[in-house]
Amino acid sequence: MAQSSTARKIDEAPILTEAKRAAFGGGDPPAPPVRPNTPIGNNAWLAVVMFLGAEAMFFAGLIGAFLVFRVGSVVWPPPFQPRLPLGVTGFNTLILLASAVTMRLALSRARVSDAPRLMRLLAATASLGAAFLVIQGYEWVQLIHFGLTVSSSVYGGLFYTIIGFHGLHVFGALIWLAVVCANAWRGSYSRNNYIGLQTCAMYWVFVVALWPVLYGLVYVY
Amino acid sequence: MFNRNYICALATSAALFTGPLSALACTVCAGGASDTTIEGYNASVLFLMATPYLVMGSIFGGIVFTYRRALKKRAEMAAIEQPIGQLAWNQEEGRR
Repeated sequence: MAQSSTARKIDEAPILTEAKRAAFGGGDPPAPPVRPNTPIGNNAWLAVVMFLGAEAMFFAGLIGAFLVFRVGSVVWPPPFQPRLPLGVTGFNTLILLASAVTMRLALSRARVSDAPRLMRLLAATASLGAAFLVIQGYEWVQLIHFGLTVSSSVYGGLFYTIIGFHGLHVFGALIWLAVVCANAWRGSYSRNNYIGLQTCAMYWVFVVALWPVLYGLVYVY
Repeated sequence: MFNRNYICALATSAALFTGPLSALACTVCAGGASDTTIEGYNASVLFLMATPYLVMGSIFGGIVFTYRRALKKRAEMAAIEQPIGQLAWNQEEGRR
């Protein structure tokens, strides 16, 4: 029966004759099967991209203000100001860069639904980020002890404003990461649904990538 | 000869030639600021001028990259998922 079937395929035009039109059967071919189209990009991804663009412009404004004073000064840092800790902050930079690596690895584990390793990598990322903030806070206490405060000079004001806003962003990223960790613990992420982790990773990598720029400008240059 | 386009071109050229004089309207230049201060403002302005292009270029590049990757993935999915040929009953089937 299958060999001699006269049933027509969906993509073949129906062969209509006068006799068939008048008889029972025939008519319009059935509609083709609907193949659902996957969206080009996730809405949350696009929203975070726009948000990161706004954040980039915010830090660009702060860097622009820094450049006015830094390039416009003959002697920098200004005299009688404590020197910034290059070595410790350089080591802190490596800690933050390592957290970006663990975050990207966590994202790759989420794409293959490897929940145990995902949790471990997220915990490592959060630990490294927290360590960065603790070391930064310790250095700030030392600098305040040596006389560098927000109101001591333009140098101090710029330093605490720029580095302080970055620290605030790292703190916000840590809070977001804590929520993502809780969701991962509940098993919310899988290979088909990890947009929450992906957007958190985007923000985390942005904050981490911003730090070497600020370190090079404020500490080294 | 003296149509609107010609007059606009003439006015634009005059503005270009008088550019250095109009720059004195800037408070930094007219206030007699030192060279280093002017250099600082120049560096800052150049940086802030370039940043929006960098940011928007990165965003646009990311969207184009994601769009092309999604199209490629959609083509791969379409090649794998062949539609099942739907069979329609007609009279010849019923006569047998």
